[in-house]
Amino acid sequence: MITVTGQCVAAFIFGSTVGVLVQRSRWCNTAALRDAMLFKSYRNTKALLVGMMILTLGFTGFISVGNGNPMRFDVGLNQFVGLFLFGIGMVLAGACTVSSWVKTGEGNIGAMWALLFLIVGLFVSSLLWSFTYWPPAPAAMTGQPNLAGLQFGFADALTLQQKTGIPAIVFGLIQFAALFGLYRAILRKERAIQMARGVVPSESASPASRAGAAVPEAVGAAMSDGSGASGSFQEEA
Amino acid sequence: MDLFKKTLDPIVALAIIALLDVFLFVIVGAWTVGGGETMIAGLVAKYVLGAKTLARIPFWTLVFTPTWAYWKIYISLGMGFGAFVAAVLSKEFYWRVPRHLSEWVMITIGGLLMGIGIRMSFVCNVSTFFGLTPEMNLGGYLAVSGIVAGAWVGSLIYKKVLEA
Repeated sequence: MITVTGQCVAAFIFGSTVGVLVQRSRWCNTAALRDAMLFKSYRNTKALLVGMMILTLGFTGFISVGNGNPMRFDVGLNQFVGLFLFGIGMVLAGACTVSSWVKTGEGNIGAMWALLFLIVGLFVSSLLWSFTYWPPAPAAMTGQPNLAGLQFGFADALTLQQKTGIPAIVFGLIQFAALFGLYRAILRKERAIQMARGVVPSESASPASRAGAAVPEAVGAAMSDGSGASGSFQEEA
Repeated sequence: MDLFKKTLDPIVALAIIALLDVFLFVIVGAWTVGGGETMIAGLVAKYVLGAKTLARIPFWTLVFTPTWAYWKIYISLGMGFGAFVAAVLSKEFYWRVPRHLSEWVMITIGGLLMGIGIRMSFVCNVSTFFGLTPEMNLGGYLAVSGIVAGAWVGSLIYKKVLEA
């Protein structure tokens, strides 16, 4: 078992490496969602999916052999509601929890301001918790459904493994395949957008009328592909 | 070093982060930021209000007892530190200040909403995408649906503000 100091040192080393990599790659979780929706640009979304694919295999793999520390708290509707508010907030602020720290490190006063108000928001809403005591404190969670508190108990790869006896990695492979399918759909859509913009040189020799006719088709394909991709993202991920 | 001259491919960056996150998952737990930020909020409140006043707010005794011995704080501080070092080495550190009042208003509202969201769900965007969902937690799927819906609504508002 690792000591508390060891945990803090490991966390700091991990965080610093993440800070360097995110700063150098200009990756942003907010952009991964916002740019895909507003500008049909998928640079950050693809990286997010690659990260999630590796993590799914890694986490479920270690859970299968009885290792790792999965988060153990009840599934509840508060997760949907809270992240809905968070999603609006991160697009308005132009930064998520990662990029607000990274941009703060780069000298961005706006990101520092966002962090300051994130902390204010956390504190002010902690006062409200005193009146409702909802959602229940993680320490009070038993893992069993608590319908009065809109909590449904523990439900993750570890619970699946314990209840079905099937190793978690099997479920992990299914999720990996779903994420990979989404990644492929994005690649296809990017190609369709490039074709529509005439980036692919093979069309250049064809008559203008033919090229003109081909463009709306490609755009149409891109649009339908895109709505399919975002729809499946909500369902499976 | 080349790393500090050219922009790194985000896919490479996220692949390395994911491998390190798997390692962190084995020794302490998956990458998360919201938990550390909640603890930082508690520590700041304890410093500003005093331990006695803070003890009267149930959230800070029943859910989070402010302590510096909490590993998640150091992920956040590390990210700021790492980004600072990388920005200085690649000569990208300079003070950037939002120019328009509308930006300040949006950042303020956005920050508050993120804080309220984290407190309500006990998770942030990082634990949603890099912790809960890869652990195949049903809460992660709920959170992803929530954040995608929220980002969509936020994008509509953002577009309106941009056009105005």
